[in-house]
Amino acid sequence: MIAFILLGALTLVGAVITVAARNAVHAALGLVGTLLSVAGLFASLSASFLAATQVIVYAGAIMVLFLFVIMLLNANAPVRGRDPVPFVRELAGIGGVVLAGAFAVLAFTYKDPRPLAEGVAATRGGGAGPVGEVLLTRFLLPFEAVSILLLVAIVGAVALVNRPAPQPDGVADTGGLTLPTSPDLQSEALLPEKVRA
Amino acid sequence: MPDWLAQLLVTLLKAVLVALALLTTFAYMTLIERRLLARMQIRIGPNRVGPMGLLQPLADAIKSIFKEDLSVTLADKLVYTLAPIVAIGMALTAFGGIPAGPPRSLFGADPWVYNLDAGILVLLALTSMGVYGIFLGGWASGSKYPILGGLRSSAQMISYELGMGLSILGLLMLVGSTSFRAIVEWQALNGWLILFQVLGFALFLVSSFAETNRTPFDLPEAEQELVAGYLTEYSAIKWALFQMAEYVNMITASAVMSTLFFGGYRGPVFLDALIPGISGWPIVWLVVKIAFFLFLFIWVRATLPRLRYDQLMRFGWKLVLPVALLNTLMTAAYLAFARGTGLWLLGLLSLGGLLLLFVLSDRVRGLWNTPTQRRDREAAAVRTSGGD
Repeated sequence: MIAFILLGALTLVGAVITVAARNAVHAALGLVGTLLSVAGLFASLSASFLAATQVIVYAGAIMVLFLFVIMLLNANAPVRGRDPVPFVRELAGIGGVVLAGAFAVLAFTYKDPRPLAEGVAATRGGGAGPVGEVLLTRFLLPFEAVSILLLVAIVGAVALVNRPAPQPDGVADTGGLTLPTSPDLQSEALLPEKVRA
Repeated sequence: MPDWLAQLLVTLLKAVLVALALLTTFAYMTLIERRLLARMQIRIGPNRVGPMGLLQPLADAIKSIFKEDLSVTLADKLVYTLAPIVAIGMALTAFGGIPAGPPRSLFGADPWVYNLDAGILVLLALTSMGVYGIFLGGWASGSKYPILGGLRSSAQMISYELGMGLSILGLLMLVGSTSFRAIVEWQALNGWLILFQVLGFALFLVSSFAETNRTPFDLPEAEQELVAGYLTEYSAIKWALFQMAEYVNMITASAVMSTLFFGGYRGPVFLDALIPGISGWPIVWLVVKIAFFLFLFIWVRATLPRLRYDQLMRFGWKLVLPVALLNTLMTAAYLAFARGTGLWLLGLLSLGGLLLLFVLSDRVRGLWNTPTQRRDREAAAVRTSGGD
């Protein structure tokens, strides 16, 4: 229970940092903290397979790619001035209120789908076995649909970055990875915020 | 003393001991590596501090602790300090899950710090968090070479993580568990897994080298191109922490390879005839196997040149990943259709796959070497047509 409260607090702190940080890299790191805390929550619910997968996939791979893109695209400059999207604060406020209301309704009308002891028995120690079993029997259709969705996304990404003409002489193909070559990136993109402030 | 407190204290004690052991190994590993490299390159190596240079690590440690801890003006201070701590923290934590002996064999205590059913998965998760150390270190230095090194390392480690995870998937299906202890006990019953998964082992070995940023995959700190990559702006103890993380990761990778493929903490059973119970001795066997792999790491460093960056990525995505997938499919097919024939069939298939790769290596090489050939062809075409 203590672990749950601590991890829950950490999750929230990470989420707040994600939203509030001015530097995009710090925001991404806040999100990493949140994802790790969620993994900790899984682990404290004795779902160790889910916890490990959460860390490997989200914190270990997806967030690294996020950071990668942030650093490559010069997006780690601090955000200042007016937001280009009109009424973004108002819209976000409305969205937050609606979401909070939904959660309140959920919290007050929540009934356990099954007793806790039964749930613990069903996870059988939280290994890969029960997760795989459920995924490939009861949730087979959504599971396969998601894989097709991912495949489509990959094909789309490849189609987008596919270069029609061959490389000019002397330029090594970086294998889909673009190293920073644009002049504006090299000049001041790599400096953290304090220097320019 | 209540029971849980005693357990907590014992676990803490074991954790501290493991950390100390790892760091001492790191210190002497640097010396052994320098001496061995020197021998392989027909030099002498450091032999001045203490007998045979045995006090060299101590001198290095004192030096790096008392050196001035430079900090860069352009650095992002918080992340700059955090990065080496993340790197070494994850490296040390990852080792704790590896069992060094049968249960209760270490003076009545279990010879591991923590034991989880998802053992190997947790270890993969922790090592994947180790990427952040290098990556953020490179970014927070606020300098160009480090960020290039950091970007390279993140791309490299993510790519090879996939190959690494897939290459042991066949093994995990065979054993039916992700727990290190179950894997070791399975091997005690059926023989070392290298016999049945030699293809998976080859892929895992290559991926381990890439994951630990060792030659021939040490692109993140390629001296000739990047100064020292992500390490360029680090000095004194922070630099030493990064070095520690690299070597501890090597030790962990060696321990994982020993545990997954070479029988882990169990020694050969035939020695029991000479000294009863020797195959169940804790720690000894794991240390012997780790030492072998560490030697391999040094040997390869002295032998192979570094890959080019695009070759590295192509090698990971076009060779390691598909072959690992094929290995998984092969094992799955064996488990589904030919389980009754005995494990030797799988061993033969696996060995055949590896040999096939070797036989075809000249053709397979085209997978990751294409750009050079194309560039050479195009250059030749330009020359013949009277260009510059």
